[in-house]
Amino acid sequence: MRYLRRFLAKCISLVRNRCAEEELNREINGHLALLEDDYREKGMSADEAHFAARRAYGNVEQAKQSHREERSILWLEQFMQDIRYTIRQFRKSPGFAITVILTIALGIGANTAIFTLIHSILLKSLPVADPKSLYRVGDVYTDCCLTNGLENSNGDFDIFSWDNYRQLRASTPEFEQLAAMQAGEQLLSVRRGTNPAHSRQAEFVSGNYFSTFGVAAFAGRMFTDADDQATAQPVVVMSYRTWQSDYAGDPSVVDSTFYLQGQLVTVVGIAAPDFYGDRISANPPSFWVPLSDEPLLNGANSVLHQPIACWLYLLGRLRPGVSIDTLQQKISANLRQWLTTVDGYQRHGFPALISKVHVVLAPGGAGIERLQEQTDKKLYLLLSISLLVLLVACANVANLMLARGMKRRAETSMRMALGSARSRLIRQMLTESVLLGCLGGLAGLAIAYAGTQTILALAFPGALHSAIRATPSLAVLGFAFLLSLATGMVFGSVPAWITSHADPAEALRGATRSLGDRASLPQKWMIILQAAFALVLLMGAGLLTKSLQNMERQDFGLQTANRYVLHFDPMGAGYLPEGKLADLYRRLELHFAAIPGMQSVGLAMYSPLDGNQWTDGITLPGRPLPDPNDDNDALLNRVSANFLDATGQTLIRGRGISQADNEHGPFVAVVNEAFAKKFFPHEDPIGRRFGTYEREDTGAYEIVGVVANAKYTDPHEDAKAMAFEPLAQWQHNLKDPIFVYLEKQTHIAGAVAMNYRGTRQSLEQAIRSALAEVDPNLAIINLRSLDSQLAGNFSQERLVARLTVLCGLLALVLTSIGLYGTTAYQTTQRTREIGLHMAFGADRSQVVGMVMRRTFGQLIFGLALGIPISLMGGRMMESQLYLVKSYDPWSLVVAIFVLAFAVAVAGFIPARRAASIDPLRALRNE
Amino acid sequence: MPSEEKEPLQLLQGTLDLIVLRTLSALGAQHAYQISTRLQQVSQNHLNLNQGTLYPALVRLEQYGWIKGAWGRTESNREAKFYSITKAGEQALSKETLRWRRMAGLVDRLLVEDFQS
Repeated sequence: MRYLRRFLAKCISLVRNRCAEEELNREINGHLALLEDDYREKGMSADEAHFAARRAYGNVEQAKQSHREERSILWLEQFMQDIRYTIRQFRKSPGFAITVILTIALGIGANTAIFTLIHSILLKSLPVADPKSLYRVGDVYTDCCLTNGLENSNGDFDIFSWDNYRQLRASTPEFEQLAAMQAGEQLLSVRRGTNPAHSRQAEFVSGNYFSTFGVAAFAGRMFTDADDQATAQPVVVMSYRTWQSDYAGDPSVVDSTFYLQGQLVTVVGIAAPDFYGDRISANPPSFWVPLSDEPLLNGANSVLHQPIACWLYLLGRLRPGVSIDTLQQKISANLRQWLTTVDGYQRHGFPALISKVHVVLAPGGAGIERLQEQTDKKLYLLLSISLLVLLVACANVANLMLARGMKRRAETSMRMALGSARSRLIRQMLTESVLLGCLGGLAGLAIAYAGTQTILALAFPGALHSAIRATPSLAVLGFAFLLSLATGMVFGSVPAWITSHADPAEALRGATRSLGDRASLPQKWMIILQAAFALVLLMGAGLLTKSLQNMERQDFGLQTANRYVLHFDPMGAGYLPEGKLADLYRRLELHFAAIPGMQSVGLAMYSPLDGNQWTDGITLPGRPLPDPNDDNDALLNRVSANFLDATGQTLIRGRGISQADNEHGPFVAVVNEAFAKKFFPHEDPIGRRFGTYEREDTGAYEIVGVVANAKYTDPHEDAKAMAFEPLAQWQHNLKDPIFVYLEKQTHIAGAVAMNYRGTRQSLEQAIRSALAEVDPNLAIINLRSLDSQLAGNFSQERLVARLTVLCGLLALVLTSIGLYGTTAYQTTQRTREIGLHMAFGADRSQVVGMVMRRTFGQLIFGLALGIPISLMGGRMMESQLYLVKSYDPWSLVVAIFVLAFAVAVAGFIPARRAASIDPLRALRNE
Repeated sequence: MPSEEKEPLQLLQGTLDLIVLRTLSALGAQHAYQISTRLQQVSQNHLNLNQGTLYPALVRLEQYGWIKGAWGRTESNREAKFYSITKAGEQALSKETLRWRRMAGLVDRLLVEDFQS
């Protein structure tokens, strides 16, 4: 009780310190006066009594100090004094404070921006109830988004069919809930009433999806297992953001009907505002649709009832106390057993793979982490880069502080001579630097916010309502604060240490003679470190820029001048195979070809590097059926007659696909060089046959032409073997349901390639009117030039490269400024020496040489330190580089040259000034 | 040893608080100068009381809430802060006195025992 009281009293005394101090003075003065009175009574004179009283009292200052120590919380009081003192200092030299705060703000801002991304992409759990108890069945993302589940050669199963999901769910009571969600992203055409249709992201999920995550409805209700029945009325749930942005939060949306893919569905509810789905994505779903409605919306292309079509990720909530290991083994055994009972898995060479099948349960609190897998390396690379910039900034500020410490040295020495404790001085200097660090951090937060938004806009162009937020969270604020503290400590410690070694005697000597001596070594080291880090950043910038150029300027095997690609969705307009589709394609080609300026137009299932692909195994007649472990994969595409021409792929041999290759003609195909090399290494491919449906089709297609390789899937890899089949040709005799399904699915054209002379705007207008004539229900998903479609594959690489260049330049500028500052300062200190040199006959060029030698000495040390770190850094980012060696000499030489140039300029200006010293005046100055 | 007896005594930790409380309890409100004079008289100048220890003790006791200071005027019309003991202070005094007696008795006994053995 009394201690608590005392603590409160101390706190109060802290606040009313001035009052308490005054009272103490009054009390002591009274005490002294009484003593004096007594001495006078004893017969002393007034003067004698005055001194006797003071003698009797003892050391007044000491008594006051012990009173203070007893009265209040001393360190806190001193801390507040230090802060007041620091603020007074800032007021005296605002230029210094602003420079330091801005430098730090840049460094901390860059780091905080990157950390905001790392936090919101890599470190955050889904905004759902108890994310810790969520587990995913499967730990990798091998293939997306429609496969047979057996793509992983080690048997790691990560993607499931609907049948598989249902039997797994029924047999694992260990899961309180086990939900299924579509692995891929799907656009649906959405129409309300008579408004025009537009494309929106949708995701098919199991009925227990929302109850698994514990997500409540913001309005209306979430659908349940009862809605996920073939007989149930079709319902969907809308995301809060879509509700806000598309329908302005109109309450009548709930329980109203919409047309999705032309089918009538009821929006039963709006999901909780912060729920963006089961994964972080640039395009989170606007609608969640029960799995049972998939056949209705996808029509003939429905995958729901294909037992071996794996297109679902599974995420469940484990009951407490369940052993992960045991459950993993149980599910694996169960899965293997189930696979042997499914017809589809007894063919296609699957049985050999089934024995290896197993699942791994992975923590699922962050949901589906595909984006995380794609971006984590880049994000950590950016974080390292921004940390380097912060170090350079720290070194720069440390140099400024050193220089200032030198100026204040006389004052410091005086304070020490007057009895200030060293520790107190150090503390004062650290307080100053930490305060600067924190102010810098505060300014950095603003930079970080703007920076994060810019980065997001550049990294995910065209994202509608991204789930990634730039708003700083508590964790980000904490990060920035800790970083500011650490920064202040780092750049403040060296100057504080040096200053504290000031010799009190110097103050008495009063001279500024020894200025600079002790500080020049640490100052040099700061410059050396800056130069080293700047080199690392410049080298990194060089490597990444070169890698980006290699990517962007590579030969894609396409003509991009005047080429455009339109993406559209015939399914959304209600077109089902097959007769209607063929008619639609013909009319589209006719109408597009009639657009003035159109040179050629072709349709295809997908276009180069647009994110879509179809890979399948190739079978050759007369050769044994491939073993599942054999690599007989090739990319397949279905194209209309002019597609290869419209994308500018060069025909090397034979002929292309023509209008005559229609439903009446014989099956033909055009393959690329990689295909010819892979399957017919030593033979002429023309006239040879191949098939895509194993036993049912070992040679349906005859190769009639060979085109040059073009990249369709991964721009970082060599072009894959690829075959182009006519969009107009159908195989009608297939029996295996998965083949029948595939045949339908692959005849849906999603892309139109065009060679068009004119602007994009005029093309878009023409296309809109052409589409309106063909069918007003056809919506444009996007229209891009082929160039921008290709470039879109590198937006993240471009961002990383540009940020690194920016960081490198920033480091270069900081280093130059630091070098300029210290060189200028040192030459001023050496005025007398230089004057002497000149008096003894040194000419200007010799003086310049003298200063420059010192400058380049620091550069050499910086290079000696920086080159090994650069090479190490290069090694660490090797996986991010495309066709660039991590030790790329070109990048290193350019980085060294740029750094040397900047150093030369920064050193030359003060050197020239030194050379213009008048020797007489320099000597007289002393 | 007579020479040692004349040397001023250093106060034991914590005993100053007790002595100040006792003085205020016995004599009523006192200012710092009175307290220090009184202590010197009672100890017959054997107590080396530094003002640097008295003032912190007064602050400490005031912060505990055991004494209360009030500004007033001395007989010689000088300004001074008069400290008086509070109720909590009286309670603390009796408690501390008891504790001191027990402690002193214990130390005494131990010393005597030590002597005999």
